[in-house]
Amino acid sequence: MLWYKGWLETRFKLLFLIGFTIFLLCFQYSVRNAATPAGGRNPALGFILISTPSLVLMVCAILGGAGIATQPSFQASKGLHGSILFTLSLPASRLQLLMVRAGIGWLEFVGIVGALCCGSWFVSPAFRAMTTPMETLEYAVTLIACGSAFFGLSVLLATFLDDQWRAWGTMMASVALWWLSAHTPLPASTNIFHAMREGSPVLAHTMPWTAMAFSLVLAAMLFFAALKIVRIREY
Amino acid sequence: MTDFIIETSQLCKSFKQKQALRGLDLRVPAGSIFGFLGRNGAGKTTTIKTLMGLLQADSGYANVFGSPVTDADHSVEIRRRIGFVTEDKELYPYMTVEQIIRFTRSFFPKWRDDLEKRYLDIFELPLKRKIPDLSKGMRSKLMLLLAISRGADLLILDEPTDGLDPAAIEDVLRELVTLAATSGTTMFFSSHQLAEVDLIADYIGIIDQGKMIVSGSLDDIKARYQRLRVVLDDPKALEVRWEDGVESIRQEGRVLSLLASRNVDGIVEQAQSIPGAVVERYPVTLKEIFLEHVRSN
Repeated sequence: MLWYKGWLETRFKLLFLIGFTIFLLCFQYSVRNAATPAGGRNPALGFILISTPSLVLMVCAILGGAGIATQPSFQASKGLHGSILFTLSLPASRLQLLMVRAGIGWLEFVGIVGALCCGSWFVSPAFRAMTTPMETLEYAVTLIACGSAFFGLSVLLATFLDDQWRAWGTMMASVALWWLSAHTPLPASTNIFHAMREGSPVLAHTMPWTAMAFSLVLAAMLFFAALKIVRIREY
Repeated sequence: MTDFIIETSQLCKSFKQKQALRGLDLRVPAGSIFGFLGRNGAGKTTTIKTLMGLLQADSGYANVFGSPVTDADHSVEIRRRIGFVTEDKELYPYMTVEQIIRFTRSFFPKWRDDLEKRYLDIFELPLKRKIPDLSKGMRSKLMLLLAISRGADLLILDEPTDGLDPAAIEDVLRELVTLAATSGTTMFFSSHQLAEVDLIADYIGIIDQGKMIVSGSLDDIKARYQRLRVVLDDPKALEVRWEDGVESIRQEGRVLSLLASRNVDGIVEQAQSIPGAVVERYPVTLKEIFLEHVRSN
């Protein structure tokens, strides 16, 4: 039943993100016939390569919350209050609460990213011309793997920030990392942002395994840090 | 030997500058209805949150069912045996009455369908209504239903009648007493309503500034405490060093009012030794005991 509770808590966020995904697909559809400037990239494809990773970050920031701090009306600064007291009086550990909530958020994240990638393939001739269905699937897998690091960050922040600050914190940290990755001489193969755009299967026609592995390891570390914090608070 | 369902010793908890609990000693006998009294900010809710494992004490220990509440392995098992009503009666705003009952039931293998049905009828709770659309009284009733139907061995109720009208309070108190009598459930409840506690509790504890100042069987406490009214001939000539057991003294003209908590006979004897004094003994109410203690503390 914790899954059911998690679903009820996140369904309107999911609905908002589905709406936003549809909006992006409509936009892709409206620019489908844009002419490609000489020597440049097709605007429709360019839009997909910018908007899709941005959506990934937004989805992580919104759905990545887990644990007790994501309860409605909860404010970490106010201490334990509200319906959180009812939740914590149930015979479920804080660890269980965090894992279920993170699990639901991640499944919804996968669904949104999958829907956007598949939708892009259908509505955008430029995207279709550049990729095969297999590459579109690979692109979705790449985005999910690379986005997982941000999802992990959001889960970690949720252990000590309340919901609005967690979402804001995740977005700000993502922007900072984006800026850092552009200004740090990191190898492109480990750059998560590069892997979601130029290094993605859409343009590079190969899977960015190193960046994906790097992101997944980072996600695992952040997630385990969150579990550790929750374990310490478990009593 | 008495079994204690709840036992704390030297429990301390601070929040920044404020010390909420200062070495709290509390013992709740099995099968009792224990009224936990105190002023606002005395430490009642902090104690309850600590017992529920929602807060971690800074020092001292708290055992529930003989297991420390700070032990993560026992904590979940302890909560499986507790029914809890929170102070603010907040539940999930996105659920209906029916959904929250179904949700809560799934965690408790000993869930009592008979009690669920009984309290749905008595409290007239609308199953399809969303929780934010319920009045505070309805939310209190729903929380009581969710706590009682768990089939718990211990009910921890933080201001359970808050928001209820007098008729509903009467119903709830009657049901709680019936439940304690029929199922042997221990009840630990905090309240501001001294009349309620006086009506149903068999044990009480009065907490003030994070410390237990009075605790024990309500009958014993009431039997122990007496109000003495001493009418003096000459109030100006009064120079008495009272024996141990006098909790408070108040003088209005020729009338001296003493609250004695022990050694009442000795104090009466001492009062009678004052030349021309007339001494009368009166039983005291729980309200008097409470007010005298929290004021003098």
